[in-house]
Amino acid sequence: MSDYGREVTDAYESTHSSDFVHVDSAAESLAPQLAGASAFGGQGGEDLDTVKRKLGFGFWLAIGWIVTVVLAAILAPWLPIKDPDANLIQPGERPPYAPSSEFWFGSDLDARDMFSRTIWGARISLTIGFSAIAFGMLVGGSLGMVAGYFRSKWDTAISFFFVVLLSFPALVLAILITALLDRTLFTISFVIGVLSIAPVGRVSRATTISFADREFVLAAKSLGARHPRIIIRELLPNVVIPMAALALLGVAVAIVAEGGLAFLGLSVEKGATWGKLILFGSGSRDLEKAPWISMAPIMVLFFTVLALNFAGDRLRDYFDVKEASL
Amino acid sequence: MSYWTKKLAAALLLLLTVSMLTFGAMNVLGDPLFNILGPIAGDVENPASVEKIEAAKAEYNLDDPLPVRWALWLGAFVTGDFGVQFSEDGQPPVSDLIAERLPRTLQLLVMAQVIAAFLAIPWALWSASHANSKIDRGSTVMSFLLIALPSFALAVMLKWAFSIQTSIFPLAFVANDPFWTRTYQLLLPAITLALPAAAIYQRLLRTDLITTLQEDFILTARSKGVSRRAILFKHALRPSLFSFVTIFAINTGALLGGALIVEQIFLIPGLGRAIVEAILREDFPVVLAIVMLIASAFVILNLVVDIIYSLIDPRVRSS
Repeated sequence: MSDYGREVTDAYESTHSSDFVHVDSAAESLAPQLAGASAFGGQGGEDLDTVKRKLGFGFWLAIGWIVTVVLAAILAPWLPIKDPDANLIQPGERPPYAPSSEFWFGSDLDARDMFSRTIWGARISLTIGFSAIAFGMLVGGSLGMVAGYFRSKWDTAISFFFVVLLSFPALVLAILITALLDRTLFTISFVIGVLSIAPVGRVSRATTISFADREFVLAAKSLGARHPRIIIRELLPNVVIPMAALALLGVAVAIVAEGGLAFLGLSVEKGATWGKLILFGSGSRDLEKAPWISMAPIMVLFFTVLALNFAGDRLRDYFDVKEASL
Repeated sequence: MSYWTKKLAAALLLLLTVSMLTFGAMNVLGDPLFNILGPIAGDVENPASVEKIEAAKAEYNLDDPLPVRWALWLGAFVTGDFGVQFSEDGQPPVSDLIAERLPRTLQLLVMAQVIAAFLAIPWALWSASHANSKIDRGSTVMSFLLIALPSFALAVMLKWAFSIQTSIFPLAFVANDPFWTRTYQLLLPAITLALPAAAIYQRLLRTDLITTLQEDFILTARSKGVSRRAILFKHALRPSLFSFVTIFAINTGALLGGALIVEQIFLIPGLGRAIVEAILREDFPVVLAIVMLIASAFVILNLVVDIIYSLIDPRVRSS
């Protein structure tokens, strides 16, 4: 599953406390001093501040795509699209039908409309993606905040819990739970959600620590505010924003994870997800006769994952989120 | 306790936990008797079935409490006795299946890693020596796209392009073909795994190379008149390789997951297909053995990473 790639790079980036664009920025910030000295010169870079302060056109394009897909998924029952399960045999022609004005994304071998199947697939895939990360955010985020705010024993225990979760092979846990339980929407989201607790929790902890000693927290304390109030009123608003950036990346990982599970025969039993649609269209005969059966959901999945990754990365740079290096 | 004793103990503890959870879950949530005997497991009216049920219970110690059965299973497991395949006729040992399937998955992994390294190193050298130029930015976008592309999607696209539209690579994996023919059959799946991995490696190695290229000793070499090429290959590459090697080892675990999925698409009868079939047939000894194998692979890889870390930076051991 390519979400591991994400984890690996994240793990690396956390140890180096830099990331994709930060790396460039670091090189760029050094560049002026080294412009003459650098062996390879040509390190010309943009001003650090202008790079960081703008979210840019690409970001809004990505958000636009995500909103479109989410809206289409939510509104699927009311949209004027074909029934995803109806066999719309055209008189005088045998399915599969190539993409046309009648079937925008073509049809599958049973003459079902791929455009509407992809939209209906989005409903399940996005539900899994968002609810898994919501669960991870809720559990991991609050555990991380407790650990980061109280430190001492709480921190030791919760950090240990995160380490145990991280060291447990994700794939093994996913196979185990989904192989043994009924594969409902809830189980799949739960499994992916559990896997997201530790990575989310570590960022939440690190962010909390970076705010816990700030003046406004001290002010609240000296005014006699209790711990829950400080955590919710003072720290939460500061932690939530960087976590939103992480959530976008997480949703992308979760959607891909569902696809991976689908290929192991372990996705939801009922209904089509993007992963299952791609799986159904990936047989040699289907690919030969009608490549659009798998290509349509692949493209939509890819653009969605790309948009989530891109928007998440931009937000992360914008808010300068640091990983668990503290 | 020394550093390595602690590390080893933690690794063993993790494996024990995985085995306990897996074994426990399979026996509590599944019905082992049903998996062994099929429908006659519930047929307590018929004396012939009851006899079989009793025999199976005795043979697989099903009447013992769960911890005892776990201990018995573990004892057998560590000596290489993985039990029998319940769902197969004649119930052949699981180790037969593993011995048949594991080499294919391993070969796929090795090929993928070799290809990824051969792609990533020149790519990183090239982009680091052109840092922040237009083509470098282009290649950064390229690696971003590759990393965002899920392995199953890439697999389907490559299969369509290279095995169906054109027949550069064969569609089928034939177990009886000679080794080199099979290697060729594994090439496209290996490339599928290698491309995103190469993109990850390239990103990291490029970063490290850029940092190294700004060191004083590079400037010294440059002022002595060493050529650009020699600086890149002889002076800069080696000190930049350390984190690449670490990520390379960590990522092998990730590729294992990818390999299981890619096997489904290219119809390679490796471990991935074995576990899918076993889950469908609820053949628990097979699932258990493969899960333990994957978990052991992860644990061993993590130890390898720790060893590499401590070789690079001895401070890790004393902390």
